[in-house]
Amino acid sequence: MDKGSLNKKEPIKKKDLMKIKEAIWQNKRVMDSLKLVGKQVAMTLVAVLIVMIFLAASGFSPDAVLIGLNRAITKDIAGSVRWAAPLMLAGVAVCIPFKAAVFNLGVDGQIYMGAIAASTVMLALPEELGKWGLLAAFLAAMVGGALFALIAAAMKVYFNTDMIVSTLLLNFVAKLFTEYIAADALRDADAAIQMNASKMFPESMWLPRLAYFAPSSANVGIYIAIAITLITAFIFYKTTLGYEIKLVGTNPNFARYGGMNANRVILKTMALSGAVAGLIGVIEVSAVQHRLLAGFNPSFGFDGIVVSLLANNNPFGVIFTSLFFGILKNGGSNMERLTEVPQVITQITMAIIIITVSSNIVVRKIKLRRRMKKDGSGSAV
Amino acid sequence: MAYAIELQNITKRFPGVIANDQVTILVGEGEIHGLIGENGAGKSTIMNILYGLTQADEGIVRIFGKEQFIASPNDAIRLGIGMIHQHFMLMPNQTVLRNIILGSAPRKGPVIDEKKARIQIEKIMEKYCMQVNLDAVVSQISVGEKQKVEIIKALYREVRILILDEPTAVLTPAETDALIETMRKLKEQGCTIVFITHKLKEVLAATDRVTVMRKGVVTGFGETKDMNVRKLSELIVGREVNFDIPFGAYCPGETLLELSGVSTAPRGGRMPVKEINLKVKRGEIVGVAGVEGNGQSDLIEVIAGLIAADRGGITLCEKDISKLSIRQRRLNGLSHIPEDRLKTGTSTVCSISENLLLNKYFLTPFSRHGIFNHRHIKQHSKLLCDKFLVKTPDPSYELKTLSGGNMQKVVFAREFDTEPSLMIAAQPTRGVDIGAIEYIHGKLAELRDSGKGILLISAELDEIMALSDRILVMYEGEIVAEFHRGEADEYEIGAYMLGAKRQVAHSG
Ligand SMILES: Nc1ncnc2c1ncn2[C@@H]1O[C@H](COP(=O)(O)OP(=O)(O)OP(=O)(O)O)[C@@H](O)[C@H]1O
Ligand SMILES: [Mg+2]
Repeated sequence: MDKGSLNKKEPIKKKDLMKIKEAIWQNKRVMDSLKLVGKQVAMTLVAVLIVMIFLAASGFSPDAVLIGLNRAITKDIAGSVRWAAPLMLAGVAVCIPFKAAVFNLGVDGQIYMGAIAASTVMLALPEELGKWGLLAAFLAAMVGGALFALIAAAMKVYFNTDMIVSTLLLNFVAKLFTEYIAADALRDADAAIQMNASKMFPESMWLPRLAYFAPSSANVGIYIAIAITLITAFIFYKTTLGYEIKLVGTNPNFARYGGMNANRVILKTMALSGAVAGLIGVIEVSAVQHRLLAGFNPSFGFDGIVVSLLANNNPFGVIFTSLFFGILKNGGSNMERLTEVPQVITQITMAIIIITVSSNIVVRKIKLRRRMKKDGSGSAV
Repeated sequence: MAYAIELQNITKRFPGVIANDQVTILVGEGEIHGLIGENGAGKSTIMNILYGLTQADEGIVRIFGKEQFIASPNDAIRLGIGMIHQHFMLMPNQTVLRNIILGSAPRKGPVIDEKKARIQIEKIMEKYCMQVNLDAVVSQISVGEKQKVEIIKALYREVRILILDEPTAVLTPAETDALIETMRKLKEQGCTIVFITHKLKEVLAATDRVTVMRKGVVTGFGETKDMNVRKLSELIVGREVNFDIPFGAYCPGETLLELSGVSTAPRGGRMPVKEINLKVKRGEIVGVAGVEGNGQSDLIEVIAGLIAADRGGITLCEKDISKLSIRQRRLNGLSHIPEDRLKTGTSTVCSISENLLLNKYFLTPFSRHGIFNHRHIKQHSKLLCDKFLVKTPDPSYELKTLSGGNMQKVVFAREFDTEPSLMIAAQPTRGVDIGAIEYIHGKLAELRDSGKGILLISAELDEIMALSDRILVMYEGEIVAEFHRGEADEYEIGAYMLGAKRQVAHSG
């Protein structure tokens, strides 16, 4: 081989190398998300380890947590699915307004209002309507949740009330109102024992459970939740509304300058969020409780905040984090049932896991917000 | 010669681009060193490496002869390096004093000793003849003052090397002169300064030596006294730059935009406009000259619809637009390049193509029934990036990956693309390189010659004088003078800008 051909080959090789390098760079996003997933898995293992130490230190058998979690992903996976559905919807309900930098801490209130609307409809309509009655209940729940969410949004738009405060306080209103409705207005007068619950809904209107998972209360809600999450992703990435939400959330001045109406976007996201929250209400009462039970909601709304935050407000992420949370929640109750660890300790262990797993994401978020605040001064160039 | 800064063979890669390719920059002790070059040449990047904001992939950094690894701005500050960024980094809701001492406050036990800090800062301000109100909140002060705050902040940390990244882009000519004066004073005190700018006049006036960069490599360096505008511009863009704008003859048509008796209500810290009468005709560029803060912002925003007029009427193409929404005004043929590209003109965490989409996202074929046609959007943004010389490997990248001047090009591309009948162009060439200025000026001239109107607002008198067919001078919210092209020179206009003179009547 003579020198000339060698020389010719050199630059080609270099070019190829560059191309490969570029390809790796291009895939940086993929690598980053893989890394993130890896990190989360590692954090989960660390969390479980911490919990085991905690259990041992408190004088319980450290493998209690393993027993609980193990059952939640094997024999009792149905229970995990049952919890994942409302958590997924709650995560979506939080993340829609959050994308527009609006904080909806009132998802719980909207869940209650959805449930009340649905229960009223199901008890008022004749039994013969069957699934049509259920459909009406679904619509009522979405409207109920949306309207209730709009109260806080309207207060923000017209009186500039802080949404964090208003949504939070409205939760109490909704909770007490539910108690009144369940224990008074829709009370089951014939029941032997009086409790904070309405009459049973006609069986024809119940939301079906999943036969495969019987006798668990896992229900069609999980399909609904996944569908809603995918629709949300579609809205975020493929529609003009999603674009408006993103712009209002990242730079409201820019959105306004471009002729968008930020207030209208706030109202829209809150209405959507409330409607999704309302779905949780109707699913829980029509598939799990079959009546309006005053205490049916173990504050899904707040879990939703963590679900959404852990998923970085990404709808696809919400699917995974809510499944993870479903397993945790179910693992906790299994641990309580199968071992002699008392409820309080179980709750603490679950809290430890959640805090550990979310810690690195939350820290990153805080850092980011600080940086954004700093950049915000940039009124120049 | 002893070097204060030695950057040897620095290489830095970003996804899809090599921002610095084997760059070597040597800066002598106690000199003012000009760093110039096109947008995206890698100037900010290499200075960010020096300041520890990013790390080089390859290469060596020596400070005062000693090899250093600068992992963070803290390291840089410890080595006596201070940097004033292209985009300011101040806390908007804090006072000037707190911003200055942030991170290096004198302490009295566990609490911050503000009194001591105040005394120290006042000493610095006296020494360098820079006055700012220490108790003002940063969001309330002007751009020029913000810059002073940044400089004082650096001086307070006793820097020996000061990096100024395009400090003059936002300054008025008088403020620029003052800054150059300050730089000379700093130099006398033994401070080494790296000065990045796109304005060759400043380079020639202020620097001792220059380094020129293009596309990530150094294309030239040398003593400033051996340079001239032509030589520098050739080193920067690699060809000769035509400073004459190719205008057609001036033959104004019917009135496009008319403001009659427009006033705005005073709002915190802003100069309102009073009884403004002005007209922009087809085929005409009307320039508004004035010292920043004399009502230009309100004038722009009241026309664009961002604030409401208190009194008076605004018509566009003989249609009253004063009650229309922002969107309606835009759809009626108005486009608007805002003064501040970061605050209002862009969203930095959105992609370049999302930033380009703003004026058209709700129109077919970009979206139909609220659903996007991503293929079309992608094609369109690629086209715009090519046409308007936006340097990026892919428009799906976040806007913040662009260099400052390229961000400005994105804004210009978007506003030009709507084929406006009237364009409000506020600081259209702020921070862009001479090649792109040539291009943007050419585009504005093209727009004018095609029978459209332009209302140009610029802090740069040179730009106003070069482009405008008519020049209006604003002072304290009023139009105090009007000239046709060539009727007045800079000194005369300057006198009106400072309120020393005023024409009795004007028609607008
Ligand atoms: N974080 C980043 N990610 C990807 N690319 C980047 C990033 N920061 C800078 N770049 C790219 O590096 C190149 C150099 O950018 P740099 O900001 O240094 O230019 P500059 O010379 O300061 O230009 P200007 O005069 O416009 O400010 C540009 O092509 C830019 O797009
Ligand atoms: Mg730069």
